[in-house]
Amino acid sequence: MSRSLKKGPYVDHNVAEKVEAMLKAGRKDPITTWARSCTIIPDFVGLTFMVHNGRHHHKVTITEDMVGHKLGEFAPTRVFKGHTNKKEDSKAGTPGA
Amino acid sequence: MPRLIGVDIPANKRLEIALTYVYGVGRVTAQKICDDVKLDRGMRARELNEDQIAMLATYIQKTYMVEGQLRRQVAANINRLREISCYRGLRHRRGLPVRGQRTRTNARTRKGPRKTVAGKKSVKGMK
Repeated sequence: MSRSLKKGPYVDHNVAEKVEAMLKAGRKDPITTWARSCTIIPDFVGLTFMVHNGRHHHKVTITEDMVGHKLGEFAPTRVFKGHTNKKEDSKAGTPGA
Repeated sequence: MPRLIGVDIPANKRLEIALTYVYGVGRVTAQKICDDVKLDRGMRARELNEDQIAMLATYIQKTYMVEGQLRRQVAANINRLREISCYRGLRHRRGLPVRGQRTRTNARTRKGPRKTVAGKKSVKGMK
């Protein structure tokens, strides 16, 4: 079910504060955050976020097309390097195709 | 066979079915179109005269996005997802299911024919 329109988009409080400060200062330093579920609103465009993926902070530069998505959509949580090739597997975990 | 909206050639079928041969028109839309232009849903497509075909074509193109335009719209939407490299875009790029379905088994529609890997245990064996 989608979120009630009455509430407006979910924007993490800390992120909102930092974005506001950034806009006021006119700077574009990366904002480190864990708030993957925070919706990207038009104010974010042009800013850089370091979005946590469970391990590292993934660098995400916001463009206009990203508005309406969540920050987490741009920081993948899984790494898949392809299946190992049985024959060459003696070299231990060499990424296949 | 009558031609409707460019390349579409609906067959010897009831009008409400014949219209669904247009990309972007399904059963419900087809029925709605018939009612809106006051044509009998049950009439055969071959019974349409020139005027009725012209009227249908203008009405459909005015009211709905169909055929090439719709296809382009869909492709553009997917392309947008690909370009912003969001999760859904990545799934499109890899040809895997986009909406969180399981991929351990099934997902053949997206993944295509099975590529058998020698020595891989069967699904039963994995449990």
